[in-house]
Amino acid sequence: MPTYKGRSVISGMVVQEAMRCVVNRINVYSSIESCIQKMIRQKSNAVLAETDDGKPVGVVSKTDIINAYYAALPVHTPVSDILSKSPYFCNPSDKLDMALDLMIKKKNHRIYIREKNDDVIGTLSYSDIVGLLYRYCRKCEKSRRKPEDLDNQNLPRLIVNDVMTSGLIFCDVNDRIIDVIETLFERRLGAVLVKNGVDAVGVISKTDLIISYAHNQSKEVNASNIITMPVLSCSSDILLSEAVQKMFIHDVQRLFVSDHTDNIIGVISLSDAAKARSGTCKACAASVLLEGVSS
Amino acid sequence: MITREIMDTSFHTLSPDHSIFEAVELLKKSSEDEEKKIFGMMVTDKENQLVGMLSMFDILLFIQPKHIRILGEMEDISFETVLTGMMNRLKKIRVEDLMSTDLLIITPETNLMVVSDIMINKHIRRIPVVENNKVVGIVYRSDLFFHLMGKITE
Repeated sequence: MPTYKGRSVISGMVVQEAMRCVVNRINVYSSIESCIQKMIRQKSNAVLAETDDGKPVGVVSKTDIINAYYAALPVHTPVSDILSKSPYFCNPSDKLDMALDLMIKKKNHRIYIREKNDDVIGTLSYSDIVGLLYRYCRKCEKSRRKPEDLDNQNLPRLIVNDVMTSGLIFCDVNDRIIDVIETLFERRLGAVLVKNGVDAVGVISKTDLIISYAHNQSKEVNASNIITMPVLSCSSDILLSEAVQKMFIHDVQRLFVSDHTDNIIGVISLSDAAKARSGTCKACAASVLLEGVSS
Repeated sequence: MITREIMDTSFHTLSPDHSIFEAVELLKKSSEDEEKKIFGMMVTDKENQLVGMLSMFDILLFIQPKHIRILGEMEDISFETVLTGMMNRLKKIRVEDLMSTDLLIITPETNLMVVSDIMINKHIRRIPVVENNKVVGIVYRSDLFFHLMGKITE
C-alpha cells in the first residue's frame, strides 16, 4: 500500500491526486428504489442523475430520498421528481484548494470531476479530503509532532475529550420513524442517538432510513424497527487518533463518546477530528479551508 | 452447439428478501450440492422470474471499508476489529440491496459461440438462461470452456 512520504502539505496538490475514479450514476427516470440500491451498494451519500444521453442534470442525496419517504412517495417514483441539487464540477488538473473553496462556497460536500470533453470521470467528496488530511498529518514533516515521535508517550496528544461536542439530541425507541426523520431535519443531523428510558440502545442514521424506505417499512412504526445496535462509541479519554481509526474501520462519520461510567456524554465527528488535527499545523492551507465546511 | 447442451438445470436460487448471512449459507450449500465452487447465484421472485444476481464480489465490495487505502497504512489495526465492523455492516442488508439488476440473459437456443463472446466482452462468469420469462438454467464459464475445449480436441 503506497504511503505519502514525498509531500508534507496538501497545498499544491491537484484534484486528480485526491479524486475517486468512480461515479455513482443513475438515469433520471429510474425509480427511487434503484437509486437507494445504488447508494447502499456503493456506500455513497449521493448519486448523479443523468438523462438518456448521459447529460448530468442533478444530484440525488440521502436527504432527498428521506424527504420522499417522509412525503410517502411510492418507491417506484422516478428520481426526476425528487432532484433538489445541481451538480458542481471541476477539472482533474484544478488545484485541490480551489475545489475545497468551491465546496465551501456552495455548501456542498461532493464535486464531480469532468474532463474537457465534458465526460464525468470521478468524484471528490469532503470525506475523501478528510481522509487525505488524516494521512498527511500522520506523515507530515512540518507537524509539531515529527513522525519519529509518534511512539513517544511523553508528548502531549489530543484526546477525544478535547474535541468532542457535548450535549446530545436523542430519540426514544417508542418514537415513530416519522418523528426520527423530523428530529434529523430540524437539527440538521446525520444520525441520532436512540434511548430506551435512560439507556442509549442504538443509533438511527440517514442510511438506516433509506434502507427502511427500500424495504417498504411504514414510517409510522416504532424507531426500534430500524435501529442499529450497538451504539458505536469511544471513551472520552482515548487518543483522537484511535477514535479516527475506529470511524474509518466502521465506515461511520461519527462516534458517540462515553464517560468512565459508560454514559454517553457527547459525539465526535470525523470532520471535528480533522479540524483539530489540522489546527496544529498552519502550514497546511487546505486544512484551514476545511474549517469553512460543516459536516 | 447451443446453450441447452451445457446449461446447468439443477441450479439454486436466492430470494430478494434473504439476509446476506442466509445468502452466504446458501452459496456454501449450493457449492456442496453441485460439487463445484459457486461464486454467484440468481435471485428469483415468487413467480420464479429472474430479478437479479448476487455474487461474492458484490458482498466483498460492500464489506470493504470505504477508507481501505487509509486503513492499509495503519499497521496497528487488528484483523478482529475490522471483522467486527464488517459484520455490523451486513446485519440489516438483504439480497435485494446488493444484487445486480442490470442483467444479460440468454435462451436455451442461444449459440454457444455467442455465449462465449458475451462472457469474454462483458467479463461475466455466469449467465442465466430464461425461457418464457422463467429461469430454466444457468451457464457457467468453466462448463462452457471445458465443453468447447472438448469439442476442439475430439
